[in-house]
Amino acid sequence: MAQVTLKNASVELAIYNSRGRGLKNEILRRAVGGSLEDTRDRSVTVVHALDAINLEVSSGERIGLIGHNGAGKTTLLRVLGRIYPPTSGEATITGRVSSLIDLSMGMDSESTGYENIVLRGVMLGLTRTQARALIPDVEEFSELGEYLNLPVRAYSSGMLLRLAFAVSTAVRPDIVILDEVIGVGDASFAQRAEQRLHGMIDKAEIMFLASHANNSIRRFCQRTLWLAGGKIVMDGPTDEVMDKYESANAAAAQEQAG
Amino acid sequence: MRETGQAMAEIAGGISSWRIWWMLGQSDIARRYKRSRLGQIWMTISMASMIFGMGLVYSTIFKQELGSYLPFLATGIVLWGFIAGCINEGAMAFIESDSIIRQTDLSKFTYILRVLTRNVLTFAHNFVIIPMVLLICGSPISWTILLFLPGLVLALLNLSWIAYLLAILSARFRDIPQIIQSVVQIAFFITPVMFRPHQLGADHPLLLLNPLAALLSVIRDPLLDIVPTAASYAIALGMAVLGWLLTLNFVRRYSRRIVYWL
Repeated sequence: MAQVTLKNASVELAIYNSRGRGLKNEILRRAVGGSLEDTRDRSVTVVHALDAINLEVSSGERIGLIGHNGAGKTTLLRVLGRIYPPTSGEATITGRVSSLIDLSMGMDSESTGYENIVLRGVMLGLTRTQARALIPDVEEFSELGEYLNLPVRAYSSGMLLRLAFAVSTAVRPDIVILDEVIGVGDASFAQRAEQRLHGMIDKAEIMFLASHANNSIRRFCQRTLWLAGGKIVMDGPTDEVMDKYESANAAAAQEQAG
Repeated sequence: MRETGQAMAEIAGGISSWRIWWMLGQSDIARRYKRSRLGQIWMTISMASMIFGMGLVYSTIFKQELGSYLPFLATGIVLWGFIAGCINEGAMAFIESDSIIRQTDLSKFTYILRVLTRNVLTFAHNFVIIPMVLLICGSPISWTILLFLPGLVLALLNLSWIAYLLAILSARFRDIPQIIQSVVQIAFFITPVMFRPHQLGADHPLLLLNPLAALLSVIRDPLLDIVPTAASYAIALGMAVLGWLLTLNFVRRYSRRIVYWL
């Protein structure tokens, strides 16, 4: 049973530069007191990527995430994928999670396509035998044919995407997290990719989708979160939220033009 | 209490994802030699030629018989390569796996085990030099050699916490891997790898204060048909216990922060 509960979950990202990371500074600073996480140092910039998010999601929900660049969509997805533990507040996520944030994770450029299918499959939590069992499905879907025998460094970025997408969507997690992966590749592939994604989403208990393609959000999600500045501005049925979001965007555009 | 549980869960989670670190460790080695004809054999060839070259030079400098010096040097160099590799690469464990860490919720200990796997495999390749040298030099072999196995376990227990601790520190402070490299290089010269402990004097402070000397001795001595001293075992064991306690404390406090440091 998949379930997501966030209570006042915040994420503060400390961006270190070489000065901020320098050991010398730290030792000097330690001499006058402070902890490893002390960020009063001016060379460390703190970004409040998520600010006190409260969220309750239960099995069966399909949730869209909208907002401008830097609104906190990807950070929220990372919290949901158990990659970022909230720096304050709580996040309880039950169920097997699969994040499709960067499709090429765990790919090795010197290995062949076939080897990478197994590599990626194991990274996604399969046994080697199970990962090898993915091969026929990936072969058929990716249409890479003989290329699967070549090292992936010889692939074009489109081919790499086909392979990564085919493997990543072959597993069946309880919670699926998607970041801007709809509409990938060339037109014919994009269509098939969407069908395949549909299959994956249908079988998952919970899905989160962050996208700037408003149509995909309307099509896939019943509930939508609108994020701005790390906060949830609006949380409700997709149509309501999208209408508000789109009219706000239109108003902003008009203001700029006028 | 809850946090101590979390630290233990990190360790348990790391071990249970054995499929992943075993596979990544193997593919790390395979990748390094992917396009070379002799592949992984290169590791062994380069180490063997270094041992024979150094054996010729240093047996003369130290006025030692080649037949007794070569087994000593070969075991020293091969084992030191393993120890140094685990420490140096351990410090980079999180930094080199950053793209994976930022996308999955695997236990951080997985990446430490990846580095250890890679180094154990390299060590296994280089290890074939040792029986060859022992046979060629006609060194005595007895049941004492079996003590090599507990020695190796002790060494791994130590190297794993060292790698873990350094990996955490290095993720936060990027100067640490550089510092570690120089320290390990210096340690090579002050640890009895090339010279025999008694050449320095058995109670020389450099030997007594150098924990790596004890670590090296518990794995190397059995191969040379010597029973390691009780003191070496005590130091290696004590270091493993204290080191893991210290490391678990760091894991408990900072494990959740690591992903934000990458």
